[in-house]
Amino acid sequence: MSSEASRLAKFNRLASAYGTDLYRFAMWLCGNDALAKDVVQETYLRAWKALDQLQDEAAAKGWLLTIVRREYARTFERKVPLFTDVDTVVLTEDSELEPDDRTEVRLLRRHIMGLAPKYREPLLLQTVMGFSCEEIAMELGISKSAVMTQLFRAREQLKSKLQDDGMADNVHGIF
Amino acid sequence: MSMEFSEFRRLLGAEPRSRDPSFLRARDSSPEFRAAAAEADSFEDKLERALALQAPADLPDLLRAIPGSAPSVVQHRRGLRFAMAAALLIAVGAASLTWRMNSGWDSVQDYVADHFRHDGPAMLALATREPAAVDVGAVLAEFGMTASPALAGIVSVIKTCPTPDGKGVHMVLDTERGLVTVIYMPGTAVPDGEHIRFDDRDAVLVALRSGSAVIVGSESQQVAGLHELIQASLVPGGGST
Repeated sequence: MSSEASRLAKFNRLASAYGTDLYRFAMWLCGNDALAKDVVQETYLRAWKALDQLQDEAAAKGWLLTIVRREYARTFERKVPLFTDVDTVVLTEDSELEPDDRTEVRLLRRHIMGLAPKYREPLLLQTVMGFSCEEIAMELGISKSAVMTQLFRAREQLKSKLQDDGMADNVHGIF
Repeated sequence: MSMEFSEFRRLLGAEPRSRDPSFLRARDSSPEFRAAAAEADSFEDKLERALALQAPADLPDLLRAIPGSAPSVVQHRRGLRFAMAAALLIAVGAASLTWRMNSGWDSVQDYVADHFRHDGPAMLALATREPAAVDVGAVLAEFGMTASPALAGIVSVIKTCPTPDGKGVHMVLDTERGLVTVIYMPGTAVPDGEHIRFDDRDAVLVALRSGSAVIVGSESQQVAGLHELIQASLVPGGGST
């Protein structure tokens, strides 16, 4: 395989493996479909240009995530969208859920968007991107202990808000 | 050494899917631990389901196209960032209309049908289920536009969306004719009053003082009757960011 073909194959593997998760991550960061798509496209454009710098493909997820976060911060940090597309983006998928579950999931989504960024981002890194607490700590530049506290509090807040919504039957009181 | 329940709860809240051996042993160490673990698993399932947004169907194709068309992607992005600047350069009611689209649609008619099929019904459903206060002025101000009180007062749902020439606005209006969709396209020139018919929908294009709009409704709603309201009510003003 030529080096250009090999490079292309490597890029396509990264696009297939992480494109969806990176879109979800970006979407939950900015709450806007068009902007999330734009961030991910820009991320992959930068990745394509800098692909030779990625020596170890096993490190690709963290590498791409760093680009996404940088791109998001650079472009949209001071221009948070005023309206969230989250409900509309997932509507088709949700039609398969039972009505009660659909309501609970929609409420949960709203509360996730309402979390302060310092709680939301570690939660997204863990649940959407599959990062460990150690990896999150490294990415965010904080201690593992701080990450665990933020994750604990994020879940605690979500459960509390669901209970406030009257979803107590489906939320348990372990925290 | 066995794990304290308080420490176990802390780990459940922080990393419930942990595969750490001591954590896994603790999960099954007593009925109390097992119950807490089961409850945490149940919540985690819901959380994962809530976070699992459906990615756009065209995302894989867009990403795979990047190596072959990097310059055009850059161009598209610039178009998104500077849609406002582009809109200012478009002559209002231009006699010569350009159908060159940046985002893959052959014409504005294709765009309207494609866009509406993508999320039109979802937005209408959202408006039906969830009438809520929306900040119409703030969203439109991003594009240097404003809506008259008559228009702003009937907007049920509003969001930004892609248009043929950059970011625009997708609204659902609660009118006397029922719920009607309006898409504002800041950088697109259209033939004023032209009808578009697709599926069971009737749409009418509206040339505005800045950019354009399309009104989409069912064939029975006679959306052309809203042309005057949109043209008079969606006007430059309100500042932009």
